[in-house]
Amino acid sequence: MNWLSDNINLLALIAAVVIVVLTVLVAGKYIKQMKTDRSTGELAKENWDGIGEYKNELPSGWAYTFLGAMIWGLWYFAIGYPVNGYSQIGEYNEEVAVHTKMFESKWANADRQTLQEMGEGIYLVQCAPCHGIAGDGMDAKAADLTVWGSAAGVLDTIKNGSKGLGYPMGEMPAGLLDGDSAKRVASYVANGMKGEKPAEFAACAGCHGVDGKGMGGMAPDLTKYGTPSFVADVLNRGKKGYIGTMVSFKGRLTPIQEKAVGTYILSLSRGE
Amino acid sequence: MFHWLEKRPFFFAVGVFLVIAFAGLIEIIPDFAQASRPVVGTKPYTVLQLAGRHVYIKDSCNACHSQLIRPFKSETDRYGPYSLSGEYAYDRPFLWGSKRTGPDLMRVGEYRTTDWHENHMWEPSSVVPGSIMPAYKHMFTQNADIETAYAEALTVKKVFNVPYDKPGMPKLGEWEEAKKQAMEEARKIASEMKNQDVKDAVANGEIPEIVALIAYLNSLR
Ligand code: HEC
Ligand code: HEC
Ligand code: HEC
Repeated sequence: MNWLSDNINLLALIAAVVIVVLTVLVAGKYIKQMKTDRSTGELAKENWDGIGEYKNELPSGWAYTFLGAMIWGLWYFAIGYPVNGYSQIGEYNEEVAVHTKMFESKWANADRQTLQEMGEGIYLVQCAPCHGIAGDGMDAKAADLTVWGSAAGVLDTIKNGSKGLGYPMGEMPAGLLDGDSAKRVASYVANGMKGEKPAEFAACAGCHGVDGKGMGGMAPDLTKYGTPSFVADVLNRGKKGYIGTMVSFKGRLTPIQEKAVGTYILSLSRGE
Repeated sequence: MFHWLEKRPFFFAVGVFLVIAFAGLIEIIPDFAQASRPVVGTKPYTVLQLAGRHVYIKDSCNACHSQLIRPFKSETDRYGPYSLSGEYAYDRPFLWGSKRTGPDLMRVGEYRTTDWHENHMWEPSSVVPGSIMPAYKHMFTQNADIETAYAEALTVKKVFNVPYDKPGMPKLGEWEEAKKQAMEEARKIASEMKNQDVKDAVANGEIPEIVALIAYLNSLR
């Protein structure tokens, strides 16, 4: 048994012994005093059913502490509290300002891995109750994020149409293309519209523009589809679509957090 | 002087009260009248929302949920801006709660929707795995008490001058009008729900509790 080799145990044991010894000594002293002492001093005039009270002076240490506390109390009531104007809200504002500054400088150039991890945390708190922990939309209760943002997601949109993001162009009709032509366009859009443009994209150009950039905000900018900045756009607009209502997160996440959660959900559909 | 006080329990009690109340008085009173005015944009509840609020109270949601976001970063990050006194101006009684078994609901209307509440109130664990919140299936069949809600709204309008029927504020009007308006709000909510029994009930002119409750939850912003 070497439990005494632990400092804490040893100290605790010593302290316990000291406490026991002190208790016995002090208790013994007072018990003896009770046996032999006689009361002295002057009694106060009052007498309550035979119980009197001595007029003992307050010990001076107590008296000074009490006076000091009173002076401090008056200072606090008259000057300390009202003049310094402490407020909980003020403290909150300072705390938030400090935090925001630190947050922004610390994560301004965060790499993908970091953003993805941060995004997962935000996702689990803010988005998982609707989209499910796995992001699958829980039996179509919300958008299936394991599909949205990839070529399969574009294909879905082409097949079913889309509404509710609140673009001036309004709704996108269902079934504009099908079969292989739809697939070609989908993978072209999902790859950031790089490479050779399939001829069928003409079906989309009427609304999204020949360059896919959405004709100056009339329809979504397809060159951003599948990037965190498209997600940020969705978060700011909200969406009342065919599946249900996605709430707007406008002002509730910082730009870095939006980028992080976007990076995370896109990693779900792109298998990264 | 203290002997005098010691012998007079009544004045002793008054003295104790003054000493203890002093800090409270000096901190609370100057700000109170100002802070308890309604915040700009705060509106009284409509009759349907009030009926939902009665359901909320009846089913003791406030035993597990608070409605008070404190000014701490950890809370405002999760629930939205901290609460102001004036936001409770039309809450009788306020439902601050004192225990968070579940999350705060002060601004739940900002980030949850009718269809989500429908799934969640029917079976919480269907959307939040492992949720310990009870299911409230009975709300889908029991009807909400619109009469009492109307009576309350009318009472606070007459007694406390709550600004119903003022420009930009909810309409109250006569009972028949109020009932029609509550039905209309209920139909809007039911149209976003999937439960067929609820839809049928609303089409028949009834208002199940769940519809009123969702109206109330959506109004929490
Ligand atoms: C009639 C005009 C119109 C045409 C044609 C059109 N779109 Fe759209 N598109 C829209 C509008 C408007 C939106 C925004 C919809 C919303 O509010 O949800 C949109 C949204 C989208 C989105 C984003 C969907 C999402 O989930 O956020 C994609 C991807 C898309 N379109 C691809 C295409 C492709 C590919 C084509 C060609 C096959 C096409 N669009 C043709 C108008 C159009
Ligand atoms: C109240 C429930 C709810 C919450 C919370 C929620 N979503 Fe959604 N979200 C939805 C629903 C419902 C849809 C489907 C909308 C439709 O197309 O009908 C959706 C759609 C989406 C889409 C596809 C949008 C499009 O253009 O088709 C994305 C991306 C998305 N959500 C991301 C998020 C992220 C990220 C979060 C968390 C920060 C989040 N959502 C939180 C319910 C929610
Ligand atoms: C036994 C305690 C308990 C009671 C009673 C209770 N809840 Fe909950 N509630 C929870 C817990 C725990 C959660 C978190 C898990 C979840 O979302 O289901 C929650 C979550 C919620 C949420 C989602 C909030 C969010 O931010 O995601 C809403 C809305 C809600 N409850 C409403 C209600 C209503 C309305 C009632 C009364 C009819 C009620 N709750 C009664 C424990 C309770």
